[in-house]
Amino acid sequence: MADQQAADDVDRRQFLKVLGVTGVGTAALTGCSTDRVAKLVPYMVQDENQVPGIPTVYASTCTECATGCGVHVITREGRAIKLEGNPEHPVNAGTLCSRGQAGLQALYNPDRIGAPLAKNAAGGFDEITWEDAIARLAARLGQAGNRVAAINGYGPSTFSQLLEGMVGQLGGTTVSWQPFAREAESRANQRTFGRDDLPAYDFGVARYIVSFGADFLETWGPTMEQSRGFAASHGFNDGTMARHVYVGPRMNLTGANADEWLDVAAGSEVFVALLLARAAAEAKGSPLAGDLARWTAAEVSARTGIDAARLTRIANEFAAATPSLAVAGGIAAQHRGAIDLCHAVNLANVAAGNLGQTVNFGLGSTPTAGYGAVQGLFARMERGEVAVAIVHEANPLYAMPKSGNFQASFAKVGFKVSTANVMDETAAASDLILPNLHALERWDDSFSRPGVRSLMQPVMTPVRPGMHTGDVLLKVAQALGGSAAANFAEPSFEARLQAAWTVGATGDFPTFWRTSLARGGVFLPAVSSNPTLVDGAAALDPAAPAFDGDAEFTFLPYPSLMYHDGRGANKPWLLENPDPMTKITWQSWAELHPETARRLDVREGEIIELTSPHGAIRAQVYLFHGIREDTIGMPLGLGHTEYGRYAKDRGVNALDLLGAADGQGYLPYVATKVSVTKTPGYRKVAKTEGNPRQLGRGIIEQMPLVYAAQGMTPEQAYKAAGGETHEINPPREREAIDGWYEAQKEGWKLGNYADDATPKWAMAVDLSRCTGCSACVTACYAENNIPTVGEEQIFKGREMSWMRIERYWEGGEDGAPIEARFAPIMCQHCDNAPCEPVCPVYAAYHTPDGLNGQVYNRCVGTRYCSNNCPFKVRYYNWLKYNESAWPEPLNLQLNPEVTVRARGVMEKCTFCVQRIRGAQHKARLEDRPLKDGEIVPACAQACPSKAMTFGNIKDPEAKVVQWSRDPRGYTMLELTNVRPAVTYLAKVVAQEPVVHAADEHGGH
Amino acid sequence: MATQVPGVLGSFEHIDAACDAIRELKADGRADITVYSAAPNHELEAAIGDPISKVRLFTLVGGFTGVTAGFSLAIWMARDWPLLVGGKPIAAIPAFVVIGFELTILIGALSTIAAIIILSAMKSLKGRPYHPRYSDDRIGIFVPCGPSEAQDVQQLFERHGSVEVSRDA
Amino acid sequence: MAVIAHDPSRPTQTHAEVTRDVVRTITEAPTRGYYILVGVLAFLTAVLLGTVTMLLKHGLGLAGYAPPIMWSVYITTFVFWVGIGHAGTLISAILFLFRSPWRTAVYRATEAMTVFAVMTAALFPIIHIGRQWIFYWLLPYPNARYLWPNFKSPLLWDVFAISTYLTVSSTFLMVGLVPDIAAVRDHVSGWRKKLYSMLSLGWTGADSQWRHYTRAYLYLAALAAPLVLSVHSVVSWDFAVSIVPGWHGTIFAPYFVAGAIYSGIGMTFTLLIPLRKMLRLEHMITDYHFDNLSKLTLFTGTILFYAYAMEYFVAWYSGSTFEQTTFWRRAFGPNWWAGWSMIICNAFVSQLLWFRKIRVNLTALFVISIFINIGMWFERYVIVVSSLANDYLPNAWGQINPTWADWLILLGSFGWFGLWFTLFYKNFPIVAIQEIKEMIPMPRRKSHGGAH
Repeated sequence: MADQQAADDVDRRQFLKVLGVTGVGTAALTGCSTDRVAKLVPYMVQDENQVPGIPTVYASTCTECATGCGVHVITREGRAIKLEGNPEHPVNAGTLCSRGQAGLQALYNPDRIGAPLAKNAAGGFDEITWEDAIARLAARLGQAGNRVAAINGYGPSTFSQLLEGMVGQLGGTTVSWQPFAREAESRANQRTFGRDDLPAYDFGVARYIVSFGADFLETWGPTMEQSRGFAASHGFNDGTMARHVYVGPRMNLTGANADEWLDVAAGSEVFVALLLARAAAEAKGSPLAGDLARWTAAEVSARTGIDAARLTRIANEFAAATPSLAVAGGIAAQHRGAIDLCHAVNLANVAAGNLGQTVNFGLGSTPTAGYGAVQGLFARMERGEVAVAIVHEANPLYAMPKSGNFQASFAKVGFKVSTANVMDETAAASDLILPNLHALERWDDSFSRPGVRSLMQPVMTPVRPGMHTGDVLLKVAQALGGSAAANFAEPSFEARLQAAWTVGATGDFPTFWRTSLARGGVFLPAVSSNPTLVDGAAALDPAAPAFDGDAEFTFLPYPSLMYHDGRGANKPWLLENPDPMTKITWQSWAELHPETARRLDVREGEIIELTSPHGAIRAQVYLFHGIREDTIGMPLGLGHTEYGRYAKDRGVNALDLLGAADGQGYLPYVATKVSVTKTPGYRKVAKTEGNPRQLGRGIIEQMPLVYAAQGMTPEQAYKAAGGETHEINPPREREAIDGWYEAQKEGWKLGNYADDATPKWAMAVDLSRCTGCSACVTACYAENNIPTVGEEQIFKGREMSWMRIERYWEGGEDGAPIEARFAPIMCQHCDNAPCEPVCPVYAAYHTPDGLNGQVYNRCVGTRYCSNNCPFKVRYYNWLKYNESAWPEPLNLQLNPEVTVRARGVMEKCTFCVQRIRGAQHKARLEDRPLKDGEIVPACAQACPSKAMTFGNIKDPEAKVVQWSRDPRGYTMLELTNVRPAVTYLAKVVAQEPVVHAADEHGGH
Repeated sequence: MATQVPGVLGSFEHIDAACDAIRELKADGRADITVYSAAPNHELEAAIGDPISKVRLFTLVGGFTGVTAGFSLAIWMARDWPLLVGGKPIAAIPAFVVIGFELTILIGALSTIAAIIILSAMKSLKGRPYHPRYSDDRIGIFVPCGPSEAQDVQQLFERHGSVEVSRDA
Repeated sequence: MAVIAHDPSRPTQTHAEVTRDVVRTITEAPTRGYYILVGVLAFLTAVLLGTVTMLLKHGLGLAGYAPPIMWSVYITTFVFWVGIGHAGTLISAILFLFRSPWRTAVYRATEAMTVFAVMTAALFPIIHIGRQWIFYWLLPYPNARYLWPNFKSPLLWDVFAISTYLTVSSTFLMVGLVPDIAAVRDHVSGWRKKLYSMLSLGWTGADSQWRHYTRAYLYLAALAAPLVLSVHSVVSWDFAVSIVPGWHGTIFAPYFVAGAIYSGIGMTFTLLIPLRKMLRLEHMITDYHFDNLSKLTLFTGTILFYAYAMEYFVAWYSGSTFEQTTFWRRAFGPNWWAGWSMIICNAFVSQLLWFRKIRVNLTALFVISIFINIGMWFERYVIVVSSLANDYLPNAWGQINPTWADWLILLGSFGWFGLWFTLFYKNFPIVAIQEIKEMIPMPRRKSHGGAH
């Protein structure tokens, strides 16, 4: 701990010196903490790509998960201040998920290790020099002979080749492994197609999507690409939309975006898959029909308990749709039958003729060796066969179940080396820590899929002095001498990287290199090569998967959208951004169906103990209609025992209930039964939501496809569905209200308000595209310097999220299917803003271009504006959040364009006014009118499904105008006559219209 | 202590007695007399018969000043730097009624206070004798006069049953 | 005038007795109890200041605020004290204009209560804002930024209303005091003599002084009367002009004024009943006064009863799901206890005063007055908090748990108020000497048979 403390308080002067090297001395000065600056360092020599006040953008690659999305790193005065998607990158095409954006907080993490650490006798760590560290490692490797092993969490790349090469040179083995490695899929592919690579799925063209526990909007596969595709197909356009069915015991975010949720028990998804395969085979006249004939609706109904008629309907819809798409392989269905499930899904895709349509082999990624391999390696450690172990970009001691005693096996290794740059569980157990540079500080590349070779470049001076592990390895090679020295002779990893890239370089190398760096890599189209089914693959007769223990409940640990495999746990943005389904922050929780809770007599927040044959954990209860009554869900990713101030001892680790054993090469997450005992404990659930029901207030409108296709308004659709007439205002009143509004307008045509030519900014949000993924929320935090307030403050509802995703439940009670509706709620910038007139000091006022301005310096904090805001989108600095939220060096991530708000003032969404003004200035400098789409607020920029558009409502050509005119368009809380500048386009659902209950549609 | 005003001071227990005395003094054409009493009393007022106080003028003027000040302040300040709030007119008269009203009361009241001070100060009571019992239960009448008339005044007081007469002339 | 003479419960007194009895309350040496009382109140005042310092240091986050509930205990207490500050001017000004004789004995005490209550209330807007050190930005003073306050904001109306009210009611109090201070001056000696001579501004009770004084007093009363009614109307508009369900009601102004007077008289009972015992003023402040005060309480209490009923009726009749939810949750939501204590303490307890037995039973009145104080604090708490807790978007609903910072400020405000009042009644005539004398016919030589 002590050494961390030391690392925490950066010596400012020293920092400036470091930055001075690249001639960007002022960088630290704009960090909104000038009070701590010792002296100003002026530019001596102007650095050619650092213009004060002008952001410099570098292309790089995201390393927060295996996907490898392209990012644009926005830097100001030598500091990275925001990560955005690289529009040129084929995977994410300009968008970026919450985890990717939060990579910035890994870069600036206050708990980063600043120097090599060596374990001392007392079990603590001592700082040592790099020379010393490299010498020690070389010495150990020298003695170890071939008893060397490495665990490499970093995907296919020049670096991985170097690591594997070196370890191989020494006769050791390298295991490439990451959690959630999709081993089951690749094994199923091996079985069905005789190849173990993963296909790319094209959600964009699919007309009927069935997901078997694959959370393709959250953590499974390239989620940005999939979200984009899903929005394209499932979003409403031209009167049509694809249908989406989710099959699994728990409704996750992906399931919540489905038109239908089949809540089958864990392990029996496979039968539904086989049913689809049969139906498709018969419909498309596929030869598989014979083998699959036995999977009739009746048969499957008997095995799953789902009504046969419903199954038949779904099967027929799937069979009828072309192309369709079935996906499986998510953690939520990774039980002992996972391979069978993926196998059956492959059959369904083949039968439906989806290969080459929505399923494209040859374009997907190659899976890593996976859990089986790493498990084997630990077995060798256990047997004492490993003298030196190098762990790179992986944290097995956290991400592998404790029941496997991996800790003990690891301890048996003579010399353990970790390259982690924060103290994670594995690093803490190591003898030597060689903190790697963060991806944004180093040269690197990543070959995430065929044709896609992404580059990384140092965008700023290292936040903490570290060394690229690649350089470390090269230095070690020299120290070892001999053939190693010969084979790895490059002076630096950068040199090696460039050498590697000369292969396949076009034109003269320097130009190629520069352009590649500028674009973020080389992106070539890859050709899909689709396999055929191996003989007899269709004759699949799955057995019900086995579960450990015979307790009552199936335990369902699932990957958290924010915490992911545990990497998210040390990033305040991810901890504070609520889980879209439960709205819980900073905690882990146990999900129980309300019925189950009633039976066990537990209420929300009460602490229950879950016991499996492998262990027991305690967590507070969250009641959730979206889970089967025989299942208990829990997010993965928390319960760290190390990993920095934010993660340490926060929540529980769901893995503690799992067995580590496995014969099939993957970790079966859903393979234990748990029993529940109520404890007297209680811990308030840190939810950011008040009431999860709309109470018939018609906040998030939804309309059936049939009506939307006829171009109806939500109102008309509601009536068409038999809803009784309700008018917020009859036409006569409406007329009077509008007349009054116009009359009032005359009263303010004064000064800046007189000019009609001023633009008027507006936004439109298409709820049929919004999936609730919350990437916009993180983007907002990053762009607008929004402080994270922590669990204690969130208990009091004091989160500062200028933009929040409201999630309302529909149904769920007395047999009605549970449905979720999502809507991003930000300041609506009302024309008749109720917040403005009540401010006694004009801190809240209306700008001539229609923004609802908030002058922080003028605000005295009466908070009346928030009381009077019907959308409750104003957030107040109750305490000195500006001092608590950004412990150094986190403060360096602050956006110099945006004020950091002091205690006692109100703040809110500004439509990213800094971006508006920026674009306006740019246009003026270039002496041209502003183009539509030139201004993109941070939320709209990040949105993976492009559900938001922003522009000048007075410009008839503007996209926002077209969207706002859409019949589905409506403004929230119309009855308040506040005239919001944000138009929402009603969500469209594929179900048949259901007749509304009288109170279904509120606001009258 | 300022120089004593020469004259006769008579104290009365009985209201009717005091009034009779005052009436007679007035009848004798003595305008400049001072009557002390612990509380205002209609009979005394009637006997003295001064015209109604000018205070009301001050109050009226103050009130009008207030209402004008209130509205003009609000309107001018709103237009001085026009800022749009809630889609309302820059100068929204209905909202300013409150300000107008409050200032009417405020300035009206303050000018009334000013009135008492100014008006009371206009008639100086310097050097006129006073007895603590006048703030208790006695009525005092003081008649400024030279030695020559003192005798008559004293007799007048005694005739009306003054309980105590003191001459200083 | 006759009323007094005809009232059997009141022993007729001479002017001399009036002076004697009142001056006695000042000249008598304070008891040990008095010193203890002052000590306790001073301590509570220190607690108030201490807590405010903490708020200044760390921010309002120390209090239990839980968005969307942006206003809670502080605003509640503000409105509570402003309300208390209404009985005084009502009794001294409005009843003066109505010439109701029974006011004379009690108005000085209530007027003092008014001034100190408003002084207490005036602290709260400042405590409550986020950046207390720039509260003066709400004042229209010329500044380098050419920025003026927003006169459209009800909060600014409040600034004007409260400051006007504080000024007018305190001048009204002082004007009334001058002749009495003169009376005291003439009956004390030593340092007191010096002090009161100074404070009496050379008052002698000469006809030339009375002549302007009586008139001025009349006009001050005439100005103060509408002010009383306006101030709490303006306070009510702090809420009523908003669009928050539960606040946005046309009934608010009269509803608040009635409540204010009701609570003010409640506090009057709480103060006067022990006070007249301590100062042995039973023969001046009599059943007759309490009976009348009780009737006023009953009247305003009944208006409240009606207002509560009407609020619920309108919520239902409006057909607005928002209004309906708010009021449903007031009665049956998480804050039901607050909602019901307000209705019981105000609407129902006040109805006991239909019975004369209770109206003249001081013990009963005292107990009732405590209920009134509690009830009226809760009324404001309910209006402020339970309306904010659940407005338009259910997702944003919240619940609140006040913390030590809330409670200590509330407690401290009683210390601050009490300290001023306690110091006042021991050093100034708590009963209006000259006005009582005005009520007592002066002796005459030839009797016209009783009063004229």
